[in-house]
Amino acid sequence: MSFSFDTPINTALFLFILYSVERIIFPSASATPKSVPREFKSGYSWMPKSHPPTVLFKTYTPKTLEPFNGKDGGRILLAINGQVFDVTAGRNFYGPNGMYGNFAGRDASRGMAKQSFDLDMLTPIDQPLDKLQDLTSDEIDNMKGWIEHFSNKYIVCGKLVENGAI
Amino acid sequence: MAPANIADYLVTDDLTLLLGLIAATVFLLHTFNKPQPLVHPILLGRQSDVARVRNPGESAVYRNYGTGLISRFPLRPGKEVHILADFVRSDHDLPRTLWNTKITNATLQDRVAAVGTGFIRLAGLQPGESNVLLFLNDCIEFLISDLALASHSIPSFTLTTSQLLSPVLESHPPSAIITNAELLPSLLELIYDGGENTQKYTIIVVGEPSAHAMASVASKIRVLRWDEVEREGNKVEKILSPIPKPQDVFTVSFYANGNGQIQGAQFTHANLTAGVAAINSMFPAAQALSRLDTIVSGHSLSTAYGRAVAYSAIYEGTSFATLHSSKLFRGDEATIKYDVTDVLSIKKFPIPSPTILFIKPGHLESLVDAILREAKKSFFLNSFAWRHKLAGISEGFVTKDSLWDRLVYDGARARVIGEGAGTVRAVVVSDGTLRASILTPARVALSCPIINTYTHPLVAAPILASHPLDLQSFPPSSEKESAASGPPSVNVEAKVVGISDDAVEAGGDPEGSLLIRGPPVGKLGGVEESYVDVQKLEEEEGWAATGARAIIQTNGSFKLLA
Repeated sequence: MSFSFDTPINTALFLFILYSVERIIFPSASATPKSVPREFKSGYSWMPKSHPPTVLFKTYTPKTLEPFNGKDGGRILLAINGQVFDVTAGRNFYGPNGMYGNFAGRDASRGMAKQSFDLDMLTPIDQPLDKLQDLTSDEIDNMKGWIEHFSNKYIVCGKLVENGAI
Repeated sequence: MAPANIADYLVTDDLTLLLGLIAATVFLLHTFNKPQPLVHPILLGRQSDVARVRNPGESAVYRNYGTGLISRFPLRPGKEVHILADFVRSDHDLPRTLWNTKITNATLQDRVAAVGTGFIRLAGLQPGESNVLLFLNDCIEFLISDLALASHSIPSFTLTTSQLLSPVLESHPPSAIITNAELLPSLLELIYDGGENTQKYTIIVVGEPSAHAMASVASKIRVLRWDEVEREGNKVEKILSPIPKPQDVFTVSFYANGNGQIQGAQFTHANLTAGVAAINSMFPAAQALSRLDTIVSGHSLSTAYGRAVAYSAIYEGTSFATLHSSKLFRGDEATIKYDVTDVLSIKKFPIPSPTILFIKPGHLESLVDAILREAKKSFFLNSFAWRHKLAGISEGFVTKDSLWDRLVYDGARARVIGEGAGTVRAVVVSDGTLRASILTPARVALSCPIINTYTHPLVAAPILASHPLDLQSFPPSSEKESAASGPPSVNVEAKVVGISDDAVEAGGDPEGSLLIRGPPVGKLGGVEESYVDVQKLEEEEGWAATGARAIIQTNGSFKLLA
């Protein structure tokens, strides 16, 4: 009765049952997919598309550091005591219109030590790096505190050396 | 006429209802009966925590995702474990079997104290001054000697192969040697061959030396029996030495590196506690090591990793024994085969059924081959069983309690391993290359977590350890490709150096020499500077070279290259 063409619904249901039972009793036999899925939803044995992003540690001079001041919308870097921090995440503070925008792309050691954001805290780019010799120990401690803060919040992505040292 | 035709086609009757119900049931069965993966695949896509910055020519520093880059490494398996003696827990009172001896922790501590006192009084060893060479195959006396020597701050030497005996005797002559009775003749021969350089040795022999060997002892050499030493220690009041500090070196393990040069790895108490912590964390929290387990190890106690496995067993209160192939020092020259017979050699010890196996790739391959061959003997059922097991594994699920295990695989395992086959609940593979093609058959045959690790004589723990519930399988690029070894272990950080920056910046996988750092890594020392081949900068920052090449995959697991 169910095989007759008069009741296609029955036939369809019957075929569907046969198919499902077949899938239950004879599951697919291979554990290894042909191409490796790149999303975890596409399959159990998957591999992510790419590695987690990493930044290459580079050596900067005052001249090569200066372009990274965020004015062109790129990365923002600043240096304290020879360590270069990537502060792009803090664009509001260190970007061109930010409160501390003067420090972007420059050596901010003296400013951090003396807790001042004035332009006269910065050494011109073509001159040797600020040796910080005339700072008191309180100011050095203050600067170290800022380095601690920056290390926790931002990535150390390079070091700052004299112009011509590379 | 058309509408009438369609209505004709859609006619339903009682049979439709019945078939509809059956179809709905079957559909629900098929869709929702899919097993849940043992670990969510999203976690397997991020097995390591990667640093955000990397130096040129190197990859970033990778740590285990569970540890993370911010946290400190786990240094000890429990709060109170600082030195070796703390592994023998006084609050655990129940006996367990170590090789042939059923012993409680309290008795073990007594024996250690007695032997330590005996060493100092009878053998004339001095804390802080003497060195002792443990030229012993694995046995309870090895453990007791190790604990006794460590508690009196007498460093012990161990060798990872017997060929190192004569170079080590020449360059670092110990004050005393502890050895097995059957090794005594060859040891004496070697000492006499040393010529005029023979200093005054004290040899402590475990077991009964033959009269012939005793007769050949020269006057400069004093031979004592281990039983005598222990008896002497029991008779008198126990000598107490100052408690060693965790940073004290208690053993030096001599091994030959890839170039054949002899290196000495110094291990402190802290290295071993970190190693035991790492071994404990290889297992999922729900299946952690406990008193009810029995650990079987194919790694000799003379290696740092083998020692850490043994101390894990001691710490957790499990029974413990080693395979026949872990005997490093033999009287005969028979080649060692890592196969099922070797695994079955454990039966000669009166230990309970093994639950955790620490074996080598050769053992796993022959076990799996044997089990699958036995399973194929039930032709009809086996093809179903294989398909169903594979279907489960491709969804990330495997269990020993399924219908197919009861029908096919339990029987096959019992025929290969014997009565205790059902108790094996985890297998850890180290010391060799595990072929990727054997992983899925192994998961079907053993149906328990199989952890692939990478170990090195310089580290008292696994360096890389795969996730225990990881059942992923990837199409291999070649027949001989090795299985991924997983992310760094919980207290090791790793990086590869000598990589091509261009390839990595373009998104490729970093490939280079593997360097490691962490609490369980011992220090290279005790050898002349000219033998040590380590870049100075790496040495300053504490990185140790393993001499292996590895490639890091996007999910954070490392794969070792031949």
